[in-house]
Amino acid sequence: MSKTILSVRNLNKVYQDDKSVILENVNLDVEEREFLTILGPSGCGKTTLLRCIAGFEDYTGTVTTDGKVTKDPDVDRFMVFQDFNQLFPWKTVKKNIQYPLRIQGLKDKDELERIANETIASVGLKGYENYYPYQLSGGMKQRVAIAKALALKSKIILMDEPFAALDAMTRTRLQKELLNISKKTDCTFMFVTHNIQEAIILGTRILVFGDGGKILVDEKNPLAKPVSPSSEGYGEFWDRLHSALYQSDN
Amino acid sequence: MMNRKKALIAKALFLLAFVIIWEIVAKRNVFGSNSQIVFPTIETIAKAFVRNFKVGYAGISLWKYILNSMELLLIGLFLGIFLAFVFSAISMINPTFYEIYNMLVSICDLLPGVALLPVVIIIFGIHRSVIVFLVIHSVIWPMSRNLLDGFHSFPQIYIEAGMNIGLRGKSLLTGVYLPATTAYILSGLKVGWARAWRGLLSAEMIFGIASSPGIGLFINQMRTNLNNAEVYATLIVIIIIGVIVQYGIIDTIEKHTIKKWGMSK
Ligand SMILES: Nc1ncnc2c1ncn2[C@@H]1O[C@H](COP(=O)(O)OP(=O)(O)O)[C@@H](O)[C@H]1O
Ligand SMILES: [Mg+2]
Repeated sequence: MSKTILSVRNLNKVYQDDKSVILENVNLDVEEREFLTILGPSGCGKTTLLRCIAGFEDYTGTVTTDGKVTKDPDVDRFMVFQDFNQLFPWKTVKKNIQYPLRIQGLKDKDELERIANETIASVGLKGYENYYPYQLSGGMKQRVAIAKALALKSKIILMDEPFAALDAMTRTRLQKELLNISKKTDCTFMFVTHNIQEAIILGTRILVFGDGGKILVDEKNPLAKPVSPSSEGYGEFWDRLHSALYQSDN
Repeated sequence: MMNRKKALIAKALFLLAFVIIWEIVAKRNVFGSNSQIVFPTIETIAKAFVRNFKVGYAGISLWKYILNSMELLLIGLFLGIFLAFVFSAISMINPTFYEIYNMLVSICDLLPGVALLPVVIIIFGIHRSVIVFLVIHSVIWPMSRNLLDGFHSFPQIYIEAGMNIGLRGKSLLTGVYLPATTAYILSGLKVGWARAWRGLLSAEMIFGIASSPGIGLFINQMRTNLNNAEVYATLIVIIIIGVIVQYGIIDTIEKHTIKKWGMSK
């Protein structure tokens, strides 16, 4: 039995400027090394939940990460945004990865070099160490963002539709790579997506949110990895998630 | 667009033609018997150029005048930029301060420094601090305007990305706010430098600060003494200083920062 790495208790979120309740009493436990994918209709609060967990928003309730109550942003919960702009354009790929480590107090040059090279290789960007972000494609930038989290050894990687703005081919390739990465690391993933197929391919556990962050479906992924649309039971599972999503739309 | 080589040749030819026509006008006394005074020959100007540095004015080499001007300019630029950073940073923390400072910047930015000089001189008297004040005034408002605009217009996701890796307060300022606004800082610097340099020359020419004689005073003295070749020679020095700052310093900084980062506006 693995341990609970993240636990959300009675989380409520209201944005200041308008009074409607975005998240209402959300409770969620995530186990270490799980790959949690989250589906839900637009505007149901998926982004808001990730932002609360990451510490970018105020909320009531508690978020506990690895036994500690966490309220402010920190490296234990690393956010990979959909926006390709999340890298610092004034730093090369390698510096973007090393800088957070330096901030965290790692000074040893060899160690910095080793970690950067290792993580850059693991996201398939060998040879691009000294490129600046403007010289990279959107998919490459997202890989660097993932590499930052891997280098930092963040306990939880929060991913908010990181591949949504990519073309289909790049998206499929990145899904495959992320799947491989997730098998090799001890990180836990929370991955928001609009795409049911993506949720099934990546997730070891799949949630469907309804309005207010209500959890409509919470299931372990019954399909063995690697999943493809021709996998046994894929269609049935897809239909179940789809109807839950569709139902929540009403 | 022309290719670089062709463009370079065209520019060189233009300059050469300009010099030749000048020389013909000078040698032929095209403008009558006083022509040499308005249009000294190139040789005369070249000799005046050397004389400016060797003999100078009032027994002081032009070097000393340049150094005096540059000293005041650098002190003023440094203080002006420093104050702009401090006030702009406070504006980011305190909304009331932001509103008031923003208004102040908008008003003062419109006020040419030279127009302020009579008031400043009433307060300080004719003294070096007047020039420093003028330079600060020239640089602080455009720099502040650019910083305030820059802080609000870079992608705000940099801030969250910074907080996510543990940057807070001062480290967030130096780690994110400053590099993210480099393009704005540089354009504030350009405007500030241009205004300060022009303002300084004007002030020195108009009020000629004797306790710290500068280039403006020098060129003005040459004019009153009808040393026109020296005036032209000093103009060339002023152009050279401008070229060094623009192409030697500012462009070099741009090349190694925002151009390299793909961040130029
Ligand atoms: N900064 C904000 N201020 C006010 N309302 C917001 C803000 N961000 C999101 N919302 C609202 O909160 C709701 C949930 O948004 P979001 O979490 O982005 O949904 P999702 O990611 O599931 O599409 C939406 O109704 C949206 O309009
Ligand atoms: Mg969203």
